[in-house]
Amino acid sequence: MLFSINEYQREIIVVANDSNTKSQRIKPKEKFNFFQDERVRGIFYQILTVVIIGCFFWYLISNTAHNLELRGMNSGFGFLNVAAGFDPGFKLISYTPGIGTYGRIFLIGILNTLYVSFLAIIACTVLGFFIGILRLSSNWLISKVALTFIEIFRNTPLLIQLIFWYVGVFSILPQIKNSLDLSAGAEVVLLNNRGLYTAWPVPGEQFWITGLAFMVALICVYLLKKWVNKHQDKTGKRVPVLLPSLAILLILPGLVFLLTGAPLSWDVPKIEGFNFVGGASLPPAFIALLVALVVYGAAHMAEIVRAGIQSINKGQNDAALAIGLRQNKALRLIIIPQAMPAIIPPMISLWLSTVKNSSLAVAIGYSDIVSLFMQTSLNQAGYAIEIVAMTMGFYMFVSLIISGLLNIYNKKVQLVER
Amino acid sequence: MAFVKKEITPARPAPLSERSVIGWMHKHLFSSFYNSILTIVTMYIIYITTKGLWVWGIADAVWIAESRRECFDISIDGACWAGVIAWMDNIFYGRYPKDELWRVNVGILLLIVWMLPLWLPRVKGKIFIAITLISFYPFLANYIFLGGESSFFSQFMVSAAIVSFVVIMLNAIIGVIQGQSISTFIATRLGSSLKSEKSQRNLNIALLIMAFIIAFLWQQSWVLGEVPWTKWGGLFLTLVISGIGIATALPSGIILALGRRSKLPVIKVLSTTFIEVFRSVPLITVLFMATTMFPLFLPEGFVLNKLAQVIIAVCLFNAAYMAETVRGGLQTIPKGQYEGAHTIGLGYWGTMGLIVMPQALKNMIPNIVGNFISILKGTTLVSIIGLFDILGMLSSVSRDLSWIGLHKEPLLFGAMIFFILCALMSKYSRHLEAKLSTNRKT
Repeated sequence: MLFSINEYQREIIVVANDSNTKSQRIKPKEKFNFFQDERVRGIFYQILTVVIIGCFFWYLISNTAHNLELRGMNSGFGFLNVAAGFDPGFKLISYTPGIGTYGRIFLIGILNTLYVSFLAIIACTVLGFFIGILRLSSNWLISKVALTFIEIFRNTPLLIQLIFWYVGVFSILPQIKNSLDLSAGAEVVLLNNRGLYTAWPVPGEQFWITGLAFMVALICVYLLKKWVNKHQDKTGKRVPVLLPSLAILLILPGLVFLLTGAPLSWDVPKIEGFNFVGGASLPPAFIALLVALVVYGAAHMAEIVRAGIQSINKGQNDAALAIGLRQNKALRLIIIPQAMPAIIPPMISLWLSTVKNSSLAVAIGYSDIVSLFMQTSLNQAGYAIEIVAMTMGFYMFVSLIISGLLNIYNKKVQLVER
Repeated sequence: MAFVKKEITPARPAPLSERSVIGWMHKHLFSSFYNSILTIVTMYIIYITTKGLWVWGIADAVWIAESRRECFDISIDGACWAGVIAWMDNIFYGRYPKDELWRVNVGILLLIVWMLPLWLPRVKGKIFIAITLISFYPFLANYIFLGGESSFFSQFMVSAAIVSFVVIMLNAIIGVIQGQSISTFIATRLGSSLKSEKSQRNLNIALLIMAFIIAFLWQQSWVLGEVPWTKWGGLFLTLVISGIGIATALPSGIILALGRRSKLPVIKVLSTTFIEVFRSVPLITVLFMATTMFPLFLPEGFVLNKLAQVIIAVCLFNAAYMAETVRGGLQTIPKGQYEGAHTIGLGYWGTMGLIVMPQALKNMIPNIVGNFISILKGTTLVSIIGLFDILGMLSSVSRDLSWIGLHKEPLLFGAMIFFILCALMSKYSRHLEAKLSTNRKT
C-alpha cells in the first residue's frame, strides 16, 4: 500500500489545499447560484421526499380510517383479552378453548415458532458442518454424494420439500396399531401417522441431587481443560482431555444417581382406545417441518462451510501437514479456526432465515405464530392491522436480537485481527 | 574430473497413480484402508438408493392409466406418472382455456426471441434492446395474456412494442450478417452516408413513425378474447409473478442501496427502515399483509385484484433483499474509484452509473443470480394464500377425484422443474462471472 493515505495525512492535504485556494482565490465570475449549491439541493430533495412520503402515508391512513368505519371494524388491542374459541393444537403451555385468550394464543404461537426453530437451528448447524466437511473430502465419491445432497436441496423450493415431507412421508406412516418401533422392540419410541411418541423421564424427589452432581462435573471439566491448556503452554505436552472429561461427566452424576436410589421413572406411551396415552408426543406436522428445515438449512450450511474453508490459503493446510499433523488434526486445529470468521456471519444469517422459514408451517397446519395468529385469529377476530403489526413485530424483534449477536461477534473478531 | 552427464536424462513417465484409471481410483477412492471402507459403504448405499428409485420411478412406474385405481391395478409399488401426465397442461398453464394456450406460448417465445440478440456478439445497440424489453414488452405480454378490450394507452404501448421488436429483429439479422447497426446500414444503402448526421437521424425517426402508424393500424385488427387472471395458473403464473419480481428487484434494489449509502440523512433513514423491515419478516407475512391490509389502504370503491396484491408484495419484499446485495457490492469498491471519478469531473450520478455501479454489480453477479433464484423459489408461497401457481396445481392433483391421494409424483415433478430452472440460472451466472472477470491471473 505505497500510495495509501491515512486519515491524518489526508486532513493535512485538505488543509493545505484550503489554504492554497484561500490565498489564490479569484472572485467567481458567476454569481452564487442558489439552485446549484449542493447543500441547498440536498435539503430540497430531503424535504421533497419527506413531503411525498408524508402525503402517501397520510393518504393511506385516511383511507384506512375511512374503510374501517365503513365496514364497522373495531380497532385497538382489547381483543387480546377476549377468549378465543379454537384449539391451537400443538402447544407448550396449557390452554383451554373458550377460556384462553387471544393474547395466550399469541404466546403459544411465539413459543411454537421458537421451539421448532431452535431445534432446527441446532440440528442444521451440526449436520451442515458435517456435510460441508464431507463435500471437501479427498474421497471423490463422498464429495460427489455431498454435492448431490447440497444441490438437490438448495435448488428446490423449501415449500415443495416441506409439503413432500408432510404428505409424502409423515402422513402415510402406518396407523397407530402398526406403529413403527424406532427403539428396536422396546416400544419406547414409536412413529405412526399421528406423530412421534416417546417415553419421557419423570424425575423423582431426589433427582435434583443428580442435577447438582452434573453441574459439579461440568465445573470439574472446565477446570481440567483450563489446567491442560496451562500445562501445554508451560511444557508443550498435551494431556488428553476428551476421554477424562467424558468419564467425569458420566461417572460422577451416574454414581450420585445410583446412590440416591435412581429417582427417575419413565412415562411410557401406551395404546388406550384409539390413541396413545402418556409419554411425550410430537405431531407429524412438527416432525415434517423440523426435518424440512434441518435438511434445507443443512444444505445451505454445508455451502457456507465449504466456502469458508476454501477461503483459507492452501498453504495453511500444506504447512500443517508439513509439521506432522494428520489431515483431521490439520483441519481441526489449523483450518477450521481460521475459517470461522468467514463462516460465522453467514451462519447467523442462516439461523435468522431458519426462524423466518419456520413460518411456512402454515402450509401444513403446524400451529406456529403465522398459522395461529395471522391466519386463524385474524379470520376469527378481525383486527387485521393489529395482528399483522404484532406478528411482524415479533419477527423484527427476533431479527434484531440475532443481528445484535452478529454485531457483537464482528466486533470481537475485528479486535482480534488488530 | 568428476562424471558430467552430457545429455539430458529423458523424462520418466508419470507414476501410475497419476495417469491411468486405476491410478485415479487409487488416489481418489482407495487412498487408505479407512477411505476404501468408506467408498465401498457409500457405493452400496448409492446402489440401494438408485435401485429403489429406478424400480419405483421407472421400471415399475405406470405411464398410461385413467385413474389412480387403474395405476394400482397395474403396479402396486410403482410411481403413477399417468396422473402427472394427465395434469400436465394444468401444471404448466393452470386453467387457461385450452384453445388459447398458443397465446401463452407466443408471449413467452416473444420474450426469448427478444432477448436472444443480447447473446449475439456481433449485434449492435444492446442497450436499446434491454430498454425496449423493460419498457414495452410488459404491455405487449399483458395484452397477449389478458386480451379483451384495451385502452388507447395500452394500444399505444403495444404498437411501440411491435415496432421495437421488428427493429430489433432486423437489427439482429443485419448485425449478424454485416456487423453493423440498422441505422448505419440504412444510411449506407441509401447512399446518404455523405450527408449530415442530422438528416440521417431525421430519416430514422421518419421510418420509425411510419412503422409505428402501420403497427398501430395493424394491431387494431387483433381480436383476442379476454382470459381473466383467475384462469391463469401453473408454471405460467409462477413465471409471471417471479418474472415481474426479478425485473423490478434489480432497479429498485439499486435505488434503495444508493439511498442507504446516501449522505442525506432523511433518505438514508427511510431506505434503511424499508430494507430492514422487509428483510426481517418472512415473505408469507408480507403476503398476508398484502391480502388483508391493501384493501384497507385503498380508497373506497377501488378494488385491487389478488394477483396485483401479490405482485406488489413480492416486489417490495425482493427489492429489500436485492438492495442489501447491491450494497454488499458497493462496499467492495475501494474509495479510490470514487475519488478517481470525481477527479475526472464526474458528478454523483456519473460516478455511480459509469464507474462504481458496473464494478459493484459485476462483483455481485453470483449473489444477484442467487437472489433471482430465491425469488423464483419464493414465489411458490403464493399458493398458501390461494393462488393456483405451479405448487397450487401440483397439490390439486391429489384432490382430483380420479387421482385422489396422488401426492408424491406431482411434487417430485415440480421439484424437478425448479431444479432444472435454478441449476440453469446458477450455471449461467458462473459462466457470466468467468466471462466478465477482469482479474488478471498472475
